[in-house]
Amino acid sequence: MNSNSITVSNLTKKFSFSARNSSSGWLKNLFSPETKEIVAVNDISFSVKHGERIAFIGPNGAGKSTTIKMLTGILFPTSGKVNILGFDPTKDRKKLAYQIGTVFGQRSQLLPNLPITDSLEFFGVMYDMPEKEIKKRIAELVELFDLSSFITQPVRKLSLGQRMRAEVAASLIHKPKIILLDEPTIGLDVVAKKSLRDLLLKINKEENTTIFLTSHDVGDIESLCDRTIVINHGVVIRDLPTQDLAKTFVYEKYIDLVALSNFNNFPELPEGIRYSSKDKNKITVVVDINKINVQESLKKLLDLFEVEDIDVYNADLETVIRHIYERDSTSN
Amino acid sequence: MKEIRLATKILKTLVKDRIQYLDRLVVDTIGVIARCGILLILYWYVFKLSNGVINGTTFLFAAWSIFFYFSFSVLRLRDISREIMKDIQTGNVEVLFSKPISYLSYRMWWQVGSGIYSFVVITLLAVVALFFIIGLPPTMTIGIFIPTLILTFFCGAILSLFLYTIVGLLSFWIEDINPVFWIVDKAVMILGGSYLPVALFPAFMFKIALWSPFGASQFVTHTVYETWQTNWYQLVGIQLFWIVLLGLVVYFMFESAKKKVSVNGG
Repeated sequence: MNSNSITVSNLTKKFSFSARNSSSGWLKNLFSPETKEIVAVNDISFSVKHGERIAFIGPNGAGKSTTIKMLTGILFPTSGKVNILGFDPTKDRKKLAYQIGTVFGQRSQLLPNLPITDSLEFFGVMYDMPEKEIKKRIAELVELFDLSSFITQPVRKLSLGQRMRAEVAASLIHKPKIILLDEPTIGLDVVAKKSLRDLLLKINKEENTTIFLTSHDVGDIESLCDRTIVINHGVVIRDLPTQDLAKTFVYEKYIDLVALSNFNNFPELPEGIRYSSKDKNKITVVVDINKINVQESLKKLLDLFEVEDIDVYNADLETVIRHIYERDSTSN
Repeated sequence: MKEIRLATKILKTLVKDRIQYLDRLVVDTIGVIARCGILLILYWYVFKLSNGVINGTTFLFAAWSIFFYFSFSVLRLRDISREIMKDIQTGNVEVLFSKPISYLSYRMWWQVGSGIYSFVVITLLAVVALFFIIGLPPTMTIGIFIPTLILTFFCGAILSLFLYTIVGLLSFWIEDINPVFWIVDKAVMILGGSYLPVALFPAFMFKIALWSPFGASQFVTHTVYETWQTNWYQLVGIQLFWIVLLGLVVYFMFESAKKKVSVNGG
């Protein structure tokens, strides 16, 4: 039996649009406009096992949402193949929809004027579930997502955090095998984010639901996903366990220097050390340990500055991800 | 079976939704009274100036014909164009495309559900009011009237949905469908008999109203006239012809549109 939930092979999506050429006349622009093409996703391949929790990350315009939409059958690929649970999304969109749940963080699928239960019942019918099963599943979801305190309120009166919990609950009404989430924590406060992440972990553990999410939030990736795929300019540039992501830039160390009084000048630094930030109270430098070790760099820094305190640490995940994006942009 | 269950659920859910908002019903009612009422008063006066008969028709027939147009319009089937455009412009289409449903059939049932509560309430109230104020024309009391009215009403509803869905689907190719919507909507209004009852049309315009899909979608306005008893099957036939033709256009447009979907952020 195939242990993969998702298999993507050489997937490419190009968008073409007509662009006005200012050097051509209006008649030519009207009847024979120039066509431009954007490659949103360029020949990507990856696979996801049942029950895995995948973060699919990248800067704006990297191709994340386009990929998710091709996985769900909303967009047709220009070339390449997608196989989700044995279905081709372009040919079996409806059949596939019974097996997957989707949450688009910036859009709501709930009925705004009615209580959540109406939306859940509505989706239950949409997924062709028997009435008894709908009621049973609603009771399960209400308990799992702790919806009872606001279950009777119209959706439009819910806070964003409550609404997102309800959105995820609605996408799980039919017990999907995979849930695809496009920026599910966007706009949520820290408490609501944590609550949503905990719930996703719970359904992954209890129902073995595969989680595939795009996010700009490092917290989502760190606390939720065991594997991270980084995409930029439509190309997969990293695919590794999330815990290894932090080690990607392990050759870089950060050193904070807190001023004894004030830093008045900022001299040129020895080779292998560069300023990350500098002000009169605190300087942060980045040390490339391939060129100079920490002990040696500390000695040199103490010769240059009068300091009250020193802190040496590795880059946090957010910085690592930023580095990956920047490095990829530079290489392009 | 699943389609029927979903359609019933959509209708029930939307009626429940609308019942909670009585203000919307009041606004709809005032809208119909204002538009239809003013026209009826003007026509009553015009018929009076012409000794009660114009082109062989009396005010009684013209009034019920105009009323049927406005009653039908309360269903707001025309709004499906703008709903489709909104889905595409806002990207909501991706939410619906990710569900195990046929997008167009869902949108059509949704549109029927959105207007059905106002339609039933307003039509019932208005029929009673008109009956007591102006009475019933004899053509509305004969046996075939109600069954053929229902038949042409359903055909008109399907035809209207197809016509306005075609306009809505254009959103996949052009950014703003409003100019096209305006032209189609005005053609339906004029040829359907909202400004001028179809019985008062000049012969060439009556032919256009009869043979175009715009006029055919509003054949419910023809049901009150004496000619309906002899040519209803011809008119329903015209409606069925347009339903098949426009149904095919909708199908092929949507098949092509699915491949053109593009949503912000992908």
